[in-house]
Amino acid sequence: MADMKVAAYICQGCGLGERLDTAGLAKVAQKEGKAAVVKEHPFLCNAEGVAMIRNDIDNEAVTHVMVAACSRRAKTEAFGFTDVAVSRANLREGVIWVRPDDEASRETTQEMAADYVRMGCAEVKKMKLPAGNAATATNRRVLVVGGGISGMTAALEASKAGYQVVLVEKGAALGGWAAKLYKRSPSRSPYADPQDTGVDEMIAAISADSNIKVYTNSITSKTEGAPGRFKVDISQESGATVTEEVGSIIQATGFTLYDANKLPELGYGKSANVVDQGGLEALAKAANGGPIKRPSDGGEVKSVVFVQCAGQRDETGTHLPYCSGSCCLTSVKQAMYFKDNNPDIDTVVVYTDLRMPGNGEDFYRSGQNKGVTFTKGKVSSVEATGNTCKVNFQDLILNEQTAIENADLVVLATGQVANSGVDVDAKLKAEIAAAAGDSTLLDAYNASQAEGAVKPISVLNLTYRQGPDVPQLKYGFTDSHFICFPYETRRTGIYSAGPVRRPMDIVQATEDATGAAMKAIQAVENAAVGRAAHPRSGDLSYPIVRIEGCTQCKRCTVECPFGAIDEDEKRYPVFNESRCRRCGTCMGACPVRVISFENYSVDTVGSQLKAVDVPDEFSEKPRILILACENDAYPALDMAAMNREVYSAWVRVIPVRCLGSVNTIWITDALNSGYDGVMMLGCKHGDDYQCHFVKGSELASYRMSKVGDTLQGMGLEPERVQVFEAAITDIERLPKLINEYSDQIAALPPSPFKGF
Amino acid sequence: MSIEKYTRNFLKEVEERVEEGHWVKMCMQCGVCAGSCPLGAHWEHTPQKIFMMIRAGKREEVLSSDSMWMCTSCYQCIVRCPRKLPITHIMHGLAYLAKREGLAPKNQPTAQFGQLFWDNLIKTGRVNELKLSLGMYFKDGFSQGIKNAMAMQSVGMGMMKAKRLNPMEIMGGHGVKDKSGFQAMLKKARELEDGRRKLA
Amino acid sequence: MTEVVATNQTILVVGGGISGMTAALEAAECGKEVVLIEKNPALGGRVSQLYRYFPKLCHPTCGLEINQRRVKQNKRIRVLTMAEVTSITGSPGDYTASVKIAPRFVNENCTACGDCGDAAETMVDDAFNYNLGKVKAAFLPSRMAYPQRYVVDPSVIGTPEADKIKAACKYDAVDLAMQEETVQVKAGAVVWATGWKPYDANKIQPYGYDRFANVITSVEFERLSDPHGPTGGKILRPSDGKEARNVAFIQCAGSRDENHLRHCSRICCMASLKQTNYMREAFGDEGKSTIYYIDIRAIDRFEDFYQKVQADPNVKFIKSKVARILEDKDGNPVLHGVDTEGYHRYATPHDLVVLAVGMEPSVSAANIPAEIVSDSSGFIEQDQANGAIFGAGCAANPLDVNRSVQSATASALRAIQVINRVARAEG
Repeated sequence: MADMKVAAYICQGCGLGERLDTAGLAKVAQKEGKAAVVKEHPFLCNAEGVAMIRNDIDNEAVTHVMVAACSRRAKTEAFGFTDVAVSRANLREGVIWVRPDDEASRETTQEMAADYVRMGCAEVKKMKLPAGNAATATNRRVLVVGGGISGMTAALEASKAGYQVVLVEKGAALGGWAAKLYKRSPSRSPYADPQDTGVDEMIAAISADSNIKVYTNSITSKTEGAPGRFKVDISQESGATVTEEVGSIIQATGFTLYDANKLPELGYGKSANVVDQGGLEALAKAANGGPIKRPSDGGEVKSVVFVQCAGQRDETGTHLPYCSGSCCLTSVKQAMYFKDNNPDIDTVVVYTDLRMPGNGEDFYRSGQNKGVTFTKGKVSSVEATGNTCKVNFQDLILNEQTAIENADLVVLATGQVANSGVDVDAKLKAEIAAAAGDSTLLDAYNASQAEGAVKPISVLNLTYRQGPDVPQLKYGFTDSHFICFPYETRRTGIYSAGPVRRPMDIVQATEDATGAAMKAIQAVENAAVGRAAHPRSGDLSYPIVRIEGCTQCKRCTVECPFGAIDEDEKRYPVFNESRCRRCGTCMGACPVRVISFENYSVDTVGSQLKAVDVPDEFSEKPRILILACENDAYPALDMAAMNREVYSAWVRVIPVRCLGSVNTIWITDALNSGYDGVMMLGCKHGDDYQCHFVKGSELASYRMSKVGDTLQGMGLEPERVQVFEAAITDIERLPKLINEYSDQIAALPPSPFKGF
Repeated sequence: MSIEKYTRNFLKEVEERVEEGHWVKMCMQCGVCAGSCPLGAHWEHTPQKIFMMIRAGKREEVLSSDSMWMCTSCYQCIVRCPRKLPITHIMHGLAYLAKREGLAPKNQPTAQFGQLFWDNLIKTGRVNELKLSLGMYFKDGFSQGIKNAMAMQSVGMGMMKAKRLNPMEIMGGHGVKDKSGFQAMLKKARELEDGRRKLA
Repeated sequence: MTEVVATNQTILVVGGGISGMTAALEAAECGKEVVLIEKNPALGGRVSQLYRYFPKLCHPTCGLEINQRRVKQNKRIRVLTMAEVTSITGSPGDYTASVKIAPRFVNENCTACGDCGDAAETMVDDAFNYNLGKVKAAFLPSRMAYPQRYVVDPSVIGTPEADKIKAACKYDAVDLAMQEETVQVKAGAVVWATGWKPYDANKIQPYGYDRFANVITSVEFERLSDPHGPTGGKILRPSDGKEARNVAFIQCAGSRDENHLRHCSRICCMASLKQTNYMREAFGDEGKSTIYYIDIRAIDRFEDFYQKVQADPNVKFIKSKVARILEDKDGNPVLHGVDTEGYHRYATPHDLVVLAVGMEPSVSAANIPAEIVSDSSGFIEQDQANGAIFGAGCAANPLDVNRSVQSATASALRAIQVINRVARAEG
């Protein structure tokens, strides 16, 4: 780095000039920070201040800029230089706004500011401007797995944007579930009548589209690579296998109806006149607008009962615990099949909550208007005798146990089960449950792995180290756990769409598939230039490994929340940059510290914490290192500062990409340097985790739970290192927490490592 | 007539034979009508429940219910119904059907009053208020009639003073000019209605 | 004068809530140029005014932070706040929108140091808190506000206080001469994501929102429950500041009602279920909630959340559309109605009533300055006739956050399809 030239800029605005000795800080930057250029400015973020920096970059060959002013979250337009490495020393939100403006605090406040200047200089010197690893992954085609409405929509929409698509369908023809329907629920005003499925038109559009290549009777038997460079083996029923290269993948493998054979109490399997919603569609298709016939004897159906939530919303643990969100619509539509043919047919829908949100209300009204009877009730059993069925139920409005005696047909609304392939976390989840005392999952898992057991069939057959399919969230669905970011699952460049991610109706599936197509084309565009996907969108840094130092311990490959790292035959990690989300969990995991990013590394943080001036043991000035998640804890601290919440002058805060990126060496380095305590602030983990990198904060607390041994070895009290969960809203709580912790540490004897 | 439960038979009858009966199917069982009725606490079934009973085929129970007879036509239910059901009209329609089918509750005061009022009105084409009042007082027998009359004495006196009640009406009272024409009109109307609602 | 560089390959996104931000970001992160228009002084929209999200009970500002960071670092997005689209002319691939920008009276020099706020004395309604509180006439719209820039309320312009506010700023950021301006923005496609507004509860006459202080709306309850809201997160009822330990939630306040909103607003059941958790958070077993409902619409995995709330002995469910509310002498709203499961008449006093008000489009399709096909509630329908103007999020349908984001992502693709067509045509 012969041509590195560091410049430090110290702002005097927003009270910095009054509260701090900025000349003193300039001296620190120059002497200790070794900055070649050091400038103070009364108002650094204004046009003139920014122009000054710009000029130094353009004409003075400055390559590394340290801005000592406000938080890195503020004034991003002003200081967002993209051609040099930039670090920010947070003197405003990090120092003067959280310290009392009085004489007594002046010295410690100045020390705080000086440390942040030292840290900013130390950090920036270790940073490189990320270049992006472009041109390694440039395939822009999209693979769509599943040729139902979702898959066909995704294919057509991606094609309309100018992208080529490979569409793989397991069955003999496109159309999926929708092709089995007589009609679909309405998607347009006035939401009054069933409408044509549109499947034929979509199939015609696909065959006429030169951008879309279709494989039917085919499965994806092997998928290797990463966004921008997937290689997919497509095995056809004929036995032939072709390999297609694609840039991103949409999994739209849909659902299977819950097996009604599991509901003998509702008469399924006992009478041909008890059908599921799929069975009714088949009958309606056969009737094609004419009278629908009773399966048992072909007699015209004169009365039909729809049993909602059959095997769903089950609280006993036997059937599906969730609601499929679409069966109410379907039953109303199916009741209309009868009513539109003959208004005199008795159609009763027995429901507990009629769930037809949005414009579904219009469709509900239309069903009523056509004479469909709705009864709030709970069906207990269906008895089949001869050609008719008796439906026993509790009428919840009339508050009585009653029955519908002579139904020709009973339709069970059984709900959707995701076709999501192998649950790659099954073993892990089972082990966690077993450790907590519940071994049912583990027993089930072991049974599923026993010889001769029917193993779940993988959909994508990924060659990823972490398993062949997209991780499942709950109940087999692959939905994202992020409310704000529904497409953020744990496999970059692979997006779920339609009922495989969440039970849904066709309107939603169409919208979802279009969104997934958006993400899929975005993924290939990002991969092509080496840009990260969400949540560090646009980040050009990527993990760089010094492989000669690797001990093949596999921790990075196991812990990466996104399955980005594979292993080669010698068990060395193989990084797939375009799968990587740049959280740094691998870097945090690596015991030999061979993983780093150009602008974020063991060194960028390590050098910061070492740059802090740790006073000796007689000064009564403890030092506490805070490693704060930059996504939630750090903004919360900023907002605490905006509220002028005061916290201890002993702390020095370093934002980290994710707590998962915290390498234990930082902890031992800090303790060895004489820090009295280390505090880590990360996001909530567990079932309702809020970690933006899914597993980062959880892994961090797991790692830190083992730090005790290290502390013991060093002869230090265990409370010197603590991990706390923090949310972005903890604006009052965090300063309190810091102060309590600070008091706790101050009550301990000073670290014996000071001055070494 | 026996009706199979939850079949359309009775609902269909209501749709054909009850004024605005075709609205019954539109009820979504929210119950706002039930809570809105100022007399709600006094009757057996709420409107929304009556509608559910119709769908469940409970013909006897519906038509013998006292609920329809308690309606005072305040229209609160209609105003609030989120499905815009003309509940007041349906309730009156049901009452009429019940009456014609002979299922209306016996000794139901509103029903009795209705009958008295009607009988009183059709005689002359004008309501004879004195006879109507006396009819009401004495409907439960002579001694009860005296008690009722005594209790209402001051009201009666007041009405007389204000010339709202003429004691001479006891002699027969006033009426429309063309009494037989009036009665023929009623007869024709009834024929038409009976034909339309299959009430013959 | 505000300058906006835009071409017919630019995507114009109208509305800076979570849907608009998402559409803008997804398109920009795919390499497209975007102009993002927001009516309020800061991005974030209605979700930023929520305390927590269902079903995770996580905080909306958490996702907002990520989205803001995405906006901050993406040079392809130009954000215009306090701006509204007044007309759109042209055709797909070649639109021109007139954008009216209201004066903020604060320019980009602002460092958000807060000196102007200290100098201001007049208190004005705090729109961020649904006017439940007041803010200084020079204010930062919220702590998370982006752009992180103060606003001077127009009510003080022309007064000596305004001069004082200006004088307090050391950075020449207060510009009292700022005028409303109109700029023309070219665009190849438009994503219309103006979101929703709560139905006007005053129109639901029997519930007395206009008459009874202790009848409030669900969006107001969000602010009351938020530790950073006007009561510091204490659930205090407006009439007397008493802790509201017994709260009634009335579902379908406006929704599923042909006298008000024809549609089901989808989110209100889940929102009320979520808000029973606020009661638990605030009062533990002392906090009692009663939900008056027609159908609980907790679809898909939300059912888990419903079952959890059902298991809470402090939450009662009554299947009933409440008929009316009266007030007793202690200022308690008394709910009258009939539990329709069986037949149970009630007249129950509560400390506070929360109306789960429905969603209506913030800008009804009829008021969008272009020919737009809509459903009977004014939500934008997908239709060829709309050209390259695409509805997203709650402008298109009453949706929860997750589904809004899906819709917005889809709309970004629809816009990109047009832009890419234009690009191909222009070579």
